[in-house]
Amino acid sequence: MIRIPTRVLLVDDETDFVEIMSLRLTDSGEQVLTAHSGKECLDRLTEKLVDVVLLDIKMPGMDGIDTLKEIKKQFPLVEVILLTGHGSTETAVQGMKLGAFDYLLKPADFSDLSTKLEAARLRKDEQEERIRKAEAKLLMRRSGDV
Amino acid sequence: MEPIRLLLVDDELYFIEAIAKRLKKRGMEALLATSGAAGLDILEKQPVDVVVSDVKMPGMSGLDLLGRIRERFPKIETILLTGHASPQDGVDGIKAGAFDYLTKPVEIDHLESKIIQAHDKIQREKDKLREAELREAMERQIIANKRLASLGTLAAGIAHEINNPLAIINEAAGWMRQILGKSREGGIERKADIEKALEKIETAVDRARRITHQLLGVVRETPLSLSEIDLSEFIADIIRLVEKETAVKHIRIATNLPDHLKIFWSDPFQLRQVLLNLLTNAVHASEENAVVTVQVQEEGQQILFRISDTGGGIPKEHQEKIFEPFFTTKPPGKGTGLGLFIVRGIVQRLQGNIRLESGIGKGACFSVSIPNRRDG
Repeated sequence: MIRIPTRVLLVDDETDFVEIMSLRLTDSGEQVLTAHSGKECLDRLTEKLVDVVLLDIKMPGMDGIDTLKEIKKQFPLVEVILLTGHGSTETAVQGMKLGAFDYLLKPADFSDLSTKLEAARLRKDEQEERIRKAEAKLLMRRSGDV
Repeated sequence: MEPIRLLLVDDELYFIEAIAKRLKKRGMEALLATSGAAGLDILEKQPVDVVVSDVKMPGMSGLDLLGRIRERFPKIETILLTGHASPQDGVDGIKAGAFDYLTKPVEIDHLESKIIQAHDKIQREKDKLREAELREAMERQIIANKRLASLGTLAAGIAHEINNPLAIINEAAGWMRQILGKSREGGIERKADIEKALEKIETAVDRARRITHQLLGVVRETPLSLSEIDLSEFIADIIRLVEKETAVKHIRIATNLPDHLKIFWSDPFQLRQVLLNLLTNAVHASEENAVVTVQVQEEGQQILFRISDTGGGIPKEHQEKIFEPFFTTKPPGKGTGLGLFIVRGIVQRLQGNIRLESGIGKGACFSVSIPNRRDG
């Protein structure tokens, strides 16, 4: 079976974490982009197509929650999974109310992470599929009008 | 009021017998002694509140007796009886610590009221002492609470800071595993050794993660979600969760639930965590074939849960530390020392309180009292 890589954008101010995690994800067959701040994350999203953002909540400057709000505003179809080293699951839950797909506590279990990435990508695909169908319907109706 | 325990001392037996008889008519029982030495003998054997003693006695004088009483039984009050001609004895007596003196011949009303006054003084002293002890216990409690609160904040802060490097170690180890997994046969030297080392790293990370996550869980201000709870079902559920361990040690869990209380209100998840931790501890502390008791009582608006075991008990010196984070008597890796710390945090959040009664060889009994929050 050919596995379709998930386009992941990994965002964390911990550079070592970003480095090693991107090695692992790449090795597992995902396409990985990295960013070390909220701003950099938004820049990457304007440049490249991304399925899922893995986003650390606690970052200096623009934190994960602010970044999440901005992502949802500018790129509503991109799925976000929050990463937190914090015990504040409350923040993570708040994040989910703002549209994040799920959250993971650091240090996270890699298979958990993979499962959630996959599920997030699937949701995005389905949503895009629905949009495509809706667009097609719209197009058909328009051409029928003629 | 408790009866006054009285001792009369005089070398003239008929005199104290007469007084004792008249006091008895007024509801006061007295012990009698005809010398200072005999009086001290009685004091050694039985508790006495007030001593009434003649000053002039052969052998040990009343003043000597007073001195000995002050020394050996400082809580006893002494009333001296002095001869009509020697009021100086009485003054000396008061200086030496007597409650008061009366001159012979003694007016019985007068003596009675003096005895009552002396007894009142003892009661006041007792109350004062009890109050001081209570205040001290409260202050100790406040200090302990503050200490635990700041320890908790500190621990959570550290836990958070540790999680980030821990995540890096975790991913790095995982990355190495991925590489090993993909390497061809014989491609990496001593692969088995490396795998063994990785396994150790992973186990250690897992252990550290459990600790940090638990610690962060304590401080986290989870909002209470109150709901109706079926008491017997709730308790049965918790007991089921420890069944595996009780089966291994053949431990029986006896429950004692109130008949009239079927339903109560609280946060079931948090309360379950509390009772589960306490029950697990009780099972761990128990010998094989022992019985652990779960008792529930309704006390006004409070519900009291008592979990007691018949294990080795908790020594006094551990009792104060037992709710502190990381206090454990289990070997490294077996217990994190966070169980009771978490319990205490949750109980506080539930606006209840937790008490421990235990002693070496007496088992342990944890009582958790929480409000039955119908109000929501």
